Amino acid sequence: MDRDLLRQCLTHHGESLFNTLQCEQTENPDFQAVASDLAKATYERRGAGEGCSLVEQFIARKADILFCPTWRTAVPREDELEDEEATEPYAIMPPAELFMEVPFEERRAMLYRDLERGDAVVGRINNIREYGFFLTLLCAAGGLRRDIEDLELSALCHIKEIPSTGSHDDPLSYYQIGDLIRGGVKDLDRYQEKITVSLLPASLCPRLAHIKLGVVAREELPKHYSRGLRVANDTRETYERILRGCHGYHNPSVVEYLLGRAGVSDDRPPSLMRGLQSKHFHEEDFATVIRKKQSASWALKCVRSGVDHFKHGRHVEAMNEYNKALEIDTNNVEALVARGALYANKGGMMKAISDFELGLETCPDHRNAKKYLCQTLVERGKQLQEQEKFVTAEGLYRRALSLDDSYPEAQAALRRITDTIQKSIRLREEATAKETEKAKSGKTSAQKLRKILKDEKRMKKKRKRSSSSSSSSSSSSERPSLSPTSTTSSRRRSKKRRRKRGGSERGSQRRRRRSSKRSEEEEEEEEYPAPPNTSASFLYRQGFLGSGAGRGEGGEEGGEEEEEVVVDDRRISQLYSLSAASEDEGSEPRGGDGEGRRGRSFSSHGKGGRRRSRRGSSSESSAAREQGKARRRSGEGRRRSRGRSREEGRSSEEGRGRSREEGRRRSRGRSSEEGRSRGRSREEGRRRSRGRSSEEGRSSEEGRSSEEGRGRSREEGRRRSRGRSREEGRSSEEGRGRSREEGRSRGRSREDGRRRSTDEGRRRRKASPSSVESQRSRKSTVAAERPPACRRSSSGSLGQPAPPPAAPPPAAPRRTSLDGGRSQSRPGRGAELRGGEGPRAPPPSTSTSSSNGQGGVARPPQPAGGGAGKKGLPANLMDIFNKIAKFEKEKGAGPRK
Amino acid sequence: MEDPSSRTAHDGPPGQVARGGSKSGGPAAHGGPPGQAARGGSNSGGPAAHGGPPGQAARGGSDSETDVTREIKTHFRVCRFIMESGVKLGMRSVPVATACELYHRFFECVSLRVYEPYLVAMSCVYLAGKVEEQHLRTRDIINVSHRYFHNASAPLECDREFWELRDSVVQCELLILRQLDFHVSFRHPHKYLLHYLMSVKALVNRHAWTRTPVAETAWALLRDCYHGVMCIHHAPQHIAIATLYLALNSYGVEMPVGEREWWQVLCEDVTKEDINAVISDLLQLYDMEAKCV
Repeated sequence: MDRDLLRQCLTHHGESLFNTLQCEQTENPDFQAVASDLAKATYERRGAGEGCSLVEQFIARKADILFCPTWRTAVPREDELEDEEATEPYAIMPPAELFMEVPFEERRAMLYRDLERGDAVVGRINNIREYGFFLTLLCAAGGLRRDIEDLELSALCHIKEIPSTGSHDDPLSYYQIGDLIRGGVKDLDRYQEKITVSLLPASLCPRLAHIKLGVVAREELPKHYSRGLRVANDTRETYERILRGCHGYHNPSVVEYLLGRAGVSDDRPPSLMRGLQSKHFHEEDFATVIRKKQSASWALKCVRSGVDHFKHGRHVEAMNEYNKALEIDTNNVEALVARGALYANKGGMMKAISDFELGLETCPDHRNAKKYLCQTLVERGKQLQEQEKFVTAEGLYRRALSLDDSYPEAQAALRRITDTIQKSIRLREEATAKETEKAKSGKTSAQKLRKILKDEKRMKKKRKRSSSSSSSSSSSSERPSLSPTSTTSSRRRSKKRRRKRGGSERGSQRRRRRSSKRSEEEEEEEEYPAPPNTSASFLYRQGFLGSGAGRGEGGEEGGEEEEEVVVDDRRISQLYSLSAASEDEGSEPRGGDGEGRRGRSFSSHGKGGRRRSRRGSSSESSAAREQGKARRRSGEGRRRSRGRSREEGRSSEEGRGRSREEGRRRSRGRSSEEGRSRGRSREEGRRRSRGRSSEEGRSSEEGRSSEEGRGRSREEGRRRSRGRSREEGRSSEEGRGRSREEGRSRGRSREDGRRRSTDEGRRRRKASPSSVESQRSRKSTVAAERPPACRRSSSGSLGQPAPPPAAPPPAAPRRTSLDGGRSQSRPGRGAELRGGEGPRAPPPSTSTSSSNGQGGVARPPQPAGGGAGKKGLPANLMDIFNKIAKFEKEKGAGPRK
Repeated sequence: MEDPSSRTAHDGPPGQVARGGSKSGGPAAHGGPPGQAARGGSNSGGPAAHGGPPGQAARGGSDSETDVTREIKTHFRVCRFIMESGVKLGMRSVPVATACELYHRFFECVSLRVYEPYLVAMSCVYLAGKVEEQHLRTRDIINVSHRYFHNASAPLECDREFWELRDSVVQCELLILRQLDFHVSFRHPHKYLLHYLMSVKALVNRHAWTRTPVAETAWALLRDCYHGVMCIHHAPQHIAIATLYLALNSYGVEMPVGEREWWQVLCEDVTKEDINAVISDLLQLYDMEAKCV
């Protein structure tokens, strides 16, 4: 209980109230605590009246409320708003004592009692002295609203308290007698009754700081003063009349405004009724709370019926119910979860996820929401993974795990994907490292090449547009791009590439994605007998193969030294093919695009025509090939110009088509082989590479100098090697006998042969070692042999991560086929284009024989020795390749013949 | 004031709405013996809608009380219901006052036996929200009322009962409007009181003023006024002055004395007797609380 307040009250009411209080508050310990204190004082009754006993009883009864410290909740807003005078949100009334006619003395005493430093007053100058001027106060301008005009109050404003205007004049010269001055009360001597005012703004108390001090016009005088004047002049004016005449009185929100000023809360309104004390109001009884509850239960009802619909397969109705539920209760968890489940069921993973997440936001512990969200996230992650958006997918897995860290599926998926990502990152790093290494290599024809590439791209695009995509190849065909890396070429191209960045970047990204996918597939493959060492990712493998092919060729036959010229030539030619390839790759789109591209190559054959073309047209194609080959061979005997020759050969459309077919055929044929060989090489390579990861890394780096470059070079390399091998194979068919390269080339040639007589190839394949790879390759070949449609499906299923082991092999054939086609066709185009620039065209190196060509191809690594990083690699790679070749030979030899 | 029964008969539908609209009162509503039957019907028979607070049920049997006191008590309870609902609905003071005044004025000309007071109260709240520009949703009103009558119960389902109740409220609102001849906007003491507070505050030393919770007390007293019919029997200025007077008096705040008292200045026609009348009415209400709740 507020003792001072109680004492004040008792002083007013006298002894009787105290007695009543003691009666009424006997059980109030608070009162008992202060009672003894209060009892000491004697109270004389002052306020006498009829209703007094009743009022005293009331006070006594309600004393515990009235004098409770918490009763005084009001925090009056003392600060007067700046625009209060102008807008008058409430009726600003003249001082009440004006109407009350309070005696002069009392008023004067009240003023000196209540006026405080910092208040604002308005006065008229009545005397100016050298030390300041004197004011006769008219009214209070802020802080206190009193009628003081007739109180004969004089205030001094010292010269020091007058702000100088900047000039050195006497500040007093600005003031005249009779001026109205607003000033702040600087000091107040209550005993001497002396008031000093100041014109410095600092003299005002902070809440009045907005008031401007100095001379004021009569119109600026406060409203309560001007209204008071009206009252003084017109005795008929009453408080109520003025009140009603006030603009502010009619303000519709005057009650709220004044309540706010008084600081009384209207949300938790005070009451002296016992039953209306705010402690009796429970939060859950308030309308908003009940409404929320009701909405929730109503929404739940809707959800229930929605679930019912859902169970009966009426999905539309169910959705309607869920939406209705969410309309009723925007954040209804059940509705969100149910709708999310429905979305997920319908395949709208993202919508489902957002629903679940919304649900979890409002109810973080909702079990179903969590569970479903986990599942959906993983599901979505898988989708993304298929789209090769690994990082996003990883994020989803992680999110799923953060929700439920024991969710096994997410764990597994995350493990898988992190591996994948790490691998791809490593690859990229290596690639960049390699690129820096290679930065120096110079290439002359860069500009032209670029131009050619562009043209080629354009053409390709045109073609692509016109051709229907034979879908089958997409996933698998992407792969070849990575395989053989020709280090030299990539080195060569690094500069050029840099210049070309813009164009190639896209491709590189894609390749990255692809590569990661590949590695992922690899991972999956690992479940198979393939060497457990994962680090040799598919990429590596391919890189190995590719580089192996290239290098191996060179390496093995390294003995056959080729002049730098040759190498250069070769490089250039590689470059061409590479750039073509890279472009190809670059424009090779994610998914459909790529398919389209690749499909394009097949398009000429149409669906199902493939096989036909392969087989049926084998003669034709072989003829074409022969032709091409012949041309090639004859064609200045450029070794590597193969591509060129190919181009030439294909310079005519038919030729291209044929070559494409050829390529496909070849690739198909090879695919099995490749699959095998790759598998083998992979295994070996992996093993070895694992052991020699650094070297390998380097090699891979080289292969992947830049990502794009990598892909390109690899492709190129592959292509090259393939092409080479093809050539070789062809040549080697005639006279093959070269080491393992030969093996491969043999394989290729074999394929060729097979192409010519597919049955044989198939037989061979079937006969081929029962290693997984071979099986896979068989599968793949089978797939390849199926008409495109079914092939597609098979490849799709194979290619998808689901049956991981199968995935890579099918890819191989297609890839190769595409590659072949591409490499053939593209370089051809390139050559055509280049035709004008002819001279530049990699001068068909004189090394006429295909074997030479191989040698040339093989050489690069050695010459590449110039590149510091490369040196180490070739040896390793060669090792690997040797092994691979041997392996292949061993294995291949049997089945083949 | 019209004869309620004739009015009801004449109006037909609205009369039905009042009692029968809620479908809870049953036949007791119209035909039953005065007072008892009506009350009893609504209390015992009324299911969810407006069974009335527990205290009401006991009243049927107390023969010793006169009809008048019983009615006063009923009104007190219903007004308490309006006040509590107002707080729970987040209503400002003025709409609550309007609702109470609507209620009192409605039952000034209509017998309590004829219309279910709580339904009228709900409609008054609804109507007051409209009148005072603080729109309330019937759903909230019904929810709060339902919870008031069925303590701590689950909110109503949005089923037939709810919709019937809602219809009753809306139709009863029409009834009130007609009964009051659409005179539904009132001058309340609130505005006066706040302006008086400003003026009185200027007369008092500011530190003494901040120390003394006069504003809260006066506001609380003013709100509490609406438990009874005094709000329609006294001028709003008088009520404002009386509450302010009582508040100042309660804390023994000394006012300067001039030729005229401060309250005389604030309102020309108020007399000490008026103030005392209001105060005694008000103090009776506080006594009433102990008897009613």
